Amino acid sequence: MRLAIAEDSGLFRASLRLLLESSGAEVTASVASGAELLAAIKADPPEVALLDIRMPPTFTDEGITTAARLRELHPAVGILMLSTYAEMSYASQLLDAVNAGVGYLLKDNVTDVETLMDSVARVADGGTVIDPTIVRSLLQRNRRPSKIDTLNERERAVLRCMAEGRSNLGIAKDLFISPRTVETHVTGIFLKLGLDQADTENNRVRAVLAFLRSTNTDG
Amino acid sequence: MRLSLAVPSDNPWLTASVVVVVTGSFSALVQLPAWSQDPDLTAMNLMVTTLFVLTGLLLRREPGQRDVAWALIVAGLLRSLDFVDGWTGPPWALYAALFGAVDRIFGAWAILRYPNRSLLKHQRVFLILLAIWIVGGHLLIVVTSLPQWNGASAASWWPTLDANLPLNNAINYAVNGGEALFAVVLLVLLAMRLTRTTGLDRIVITPIIVAGLVATVAAMASATVQMLSTLNGTPNGVYLAESSLDLAVPLAFLVAATQRGLLLRNITGLTAEISAGADIDAVRGALRSALYDPTLEVVDLSVPDGEVDGAGDAGAVDMPPPGQAADRMVQFIRTEGGSPIAVVLADPALARYQHLFDVAVQTSGLALANAQIQAQAAREKLEQVRASRARIIDATLAERRRIERDLHDGVQQHLLGLAAQVTAAVGRTTDPVAHAAFLEMRDGLREVLAELRDLAHGIHPAVLTHGGLGPALEDVAERLPLPVRLTVPATRVSPAVEATAYYVACEALANAVKHAKASGVAVAVRIADAELTMEITDDGVGGASGASGARSSGQGLSNIVDRVNALDGEVTVVSPVGAGTRLEVRIPCG
Repeated sequence: MRLAIAEDSGLFRASLRLLLESSGAEVTASVASGAELLAAIKADPPEVALLDIRMPPTFTDEGITTAARLRELHPAVGILMLSTYAEMSYASQLLDAVNAGVGYLLKDNVTDVETLMDSVARVADGGTVIDPTIVRSLLQRNRRPSKIDTLNERERAVLRCMAEGRSNLGIAKDLFISPRTVETHVTGIFLKLGLDQADTENNRVRAVLAFLRSTNTDG
Repeated sequence: MRLSLAVPSDNPWLTASVVVVVTGSFSALVQLPAWSQDPDLTAMNLMVTTLFVLTGLLLRREPGQRDVAWALIVAGLLRSLDFVDGWTGPPWALYAALFGAVDRIFGAWAILRYPNRSLLKHQRVFLILLAIWIVGGHLLIVVTSLPQWNGASAASWWPTLDANLPLNNAINYAVNGGEALFAVVLLVLLAMRLTRTTGLDRIVITPIIVAGLVATVAAMASATVQMLSTLNGTPNGVYLAESSLDLAVPLAFLVAATQRGLLLRNITGLTAEISAGADIDAVRGALRSALYDPTLEVVDLSVPDGEVDGAGDAGAVDMPPPGQAADRMVQFIRTEGGSPIAVVLADPALARYQHLFDVAVQTSGLALANAQIQAQAAREKLEQVRASRARIIDATLAERRRIERDLHDGVQQHLLGLAAQVTAAVGRTTDPVAHAAFLEMRDGLREVLAELRDLAHGIHPAVLTHGGLGPALEDVAERLPLPVRLTVPATRVSPAVEATAYYVACEALANAVKHAKASGVAVAVRIADAELTMEITDDGVGGASGASGARSSGQGLSNIVDRVNALDGEVTVVSPVGAGTRLEVRIPCG
C-alpha cells in the first residue's frame, strides 16, 4: 500500500511514518502542509493520503480544503483525515467536501494499528470511515424513545459496524456470524429505521450517520 | 411721618431710630397734659404707638402688604390721638369722643387682611359695618349729650342736638353693646382664619391671630367697663390694661417676621439635608417640608424626551403636570450655566414668601446640580468599568484560545507521536515482558490523550473558532441525551459574543437536562440589527429562577446573567412551574 502523509507536527509525522512502514505500507511522501503534499504527489499519487486537519498556513481546517483540492486533482486517491477533534461537525464538514473514499479518524487511533490499517484499506477501496469513538458517542446517547430503541442488541452491533463503514462481510467477520445473518440484520435495521435499502455501501454509512444525527436534532 | 418715610430704607437701623424719635415725639406731644396725671398709661401708649408704626414700616417691605402696613401705622398713631383730650382746647374732647375707638377698625383690618393680598368679601362687609357702627354710634352719643356728661369741659366744641340723659344712656348702652357684639364676630372671623389657613401662612399668622384674639377680648372688656362707668368716667387702669394687651398685636407681627427668618434658616439647612446624593424625590420632599406645601411638585427636566412632555422651558410652563391648576407658582431650577434642570410648581400662596421660595429653589438647585454632576461622574466611571470589563473578556478569551492551541499543537501532538512510537515498538518486540509493558504504556497514553482532548475542548472548543456557533452547538447537541432543535445562522460575529452565546447555550442545555427534566429543547439564534438573540426553550418542569433559593439551576442562571451582562446584553427567563423554561438572551454584536 502506497501512502502519503501531511502533518505539521514533526514528531507525530515521523512516528506515524514509522508505524505505517512497520505495518508494511510504503510512505511515498511525508510533508508538513497541504500545499507541500499536493506538490509532492503531483507526479506519483499514492493510494491514500493521510491528512492532519489543522495545518499551516491557516491552522484551522487546512486539512479539509486540502482534501477537497486533492479529490479534484486526483480523484482516485483515498483520503484519511487524522484529527484530535472528536466533534462530529468536523467529520460532517469532511463528508460534505469529499464524497466517497474518505475517512475521519481520531489521531488516538494510531495506537490501534489494526483499526488504522483497516481504515486506510477501506478508504483505498472507496469506502467511508467514521471514527468508532464518534460513532459510539452518537449511539450511546441516552436519547428519548426513538426508532433506535426498537433495534435489538445484535442489530445495534451491526448498525455500529455499518456506521464505521464496514461491509457485510467485514461485519460478519467482526461479529463471528455468517454474512447471510448480517444481511438479515441489515434488512431488519433498514426496515425498522425506514431507510432506503437500495443504497450502495458508501451511502449506507452516510444514511445511517444522517439518521443518527437527525434523530438528535429533529427529534 | 413724612420725615421718616423720606429716609432711605437701605439703612434699617437709621430708619428705625428716626421713626422711634418722630413717633415717640408725636405720641408724647399728643398726650403731654396726661403725662403728669398718669405716667404709666402715657408711657404705655407711647410704646404701643411706636411699636405699631415700626411694625408697619417693617411690613411695608413685604409684597402685597402695603395696605396692612399703613393700617398698622394709622392704628398706632390713632392710639395716641385717643388721649388728645387731655389738652384743654375746644376741639380735642370732641375728637376723642367721636374717634376714640377708630384705631380698632384699622387694627382689625390689619389682622384680618394679613398676609393675604386683599380682604375677603365678608371681611370687608364686617369692617365697613364696624366703622359705621363705631363712628355713627359715637356721633349719636355726642349729639344727645352735653360735654360734661362725657368728662369734657363745658367750653369744648360740642354739637348737642338734644341733651337727653335717659336717651343718651340708652344709646350709650346700645353702642357699647353693639361694639361687644362686633368683637364677638371678630373673634369668630379670626378663629375661622386660623382653622382655614395651611402651610407657611399658618405658621406666620398664628401669633398674629392669637394677638388679635387677645386684643379683641381686651377691647370687649374695656368697652364693657366704659359702658358701666359712663357717668363716673372710666378709670385709667382699664385703658392701661387694654393698651398693654394691645402691645401683643405689633409684637405678634414682629414674631411673624422673626418666624420668617427662622424659616429661611431652615431652608438654608436644606442644603446639608439633601446635598448628599439628592435626587428629584429627595429635593421634592425637602422643599415640601421646608415650604410647608404638600402640593409642591418638582418635575425633572433632565430626563430624556418622551418621559416628560415638552421638556423645554416653554413646554413645562405651558403644560403643568395634569391635575394641577395652571396658576401654580412656577420656578425653574437651573445649572450654573443657566440650563434648566427641573421646574418647581408650588402653591400660589407662596408668592408672599417669594424670598423664601427663591432661596429654597436655589438651594435645592445646587443640590440637584451636584447630584447631576455625581451621576455624570458615576456614568463615566461605569463606562470605564464596562470598557475594562470588555477588555478583560477579550483577553480571557484570547488566553483560553491560546492555551487550547498550545495544548493541541504542542503537548497533544507530542504525546501522539510518543503513542505512535510505542505502538510501533509493540509490533516489533518479541520479548513478552517488554510487549506487555509497551501495551500498558500505550493504553495509558491513550487515556491521557482522551483526557487531554476533553480538557482542551473544555478550555475552548476549537470548532467554535473554526466553524462558529452553529457547528459548535451541533456538537454539544450531539452529546446530549435529548433531542435538540437547532436554528443557527452561519453568520459569524465577534469571538467574545460567540463564546458567550456558546457557554450560555451549554449552561442552559445542561440545566434542561439536569434540572428541568425536559424531553426536548429548541435553540434558535438570530443575528440582526447588530444584535444576537438566542432563545432556548425546553418542555421541562419550569420554575427556574435566577434568585438564590430556587432550585439548583439558580447558580447556572446567575452565571448566564453574569456572562451576558458582561457584554451589555440582557437575559429574560420565563419559567412558570410545570410549563417549561424559556430563556432569551440578547447581546449587542455591532
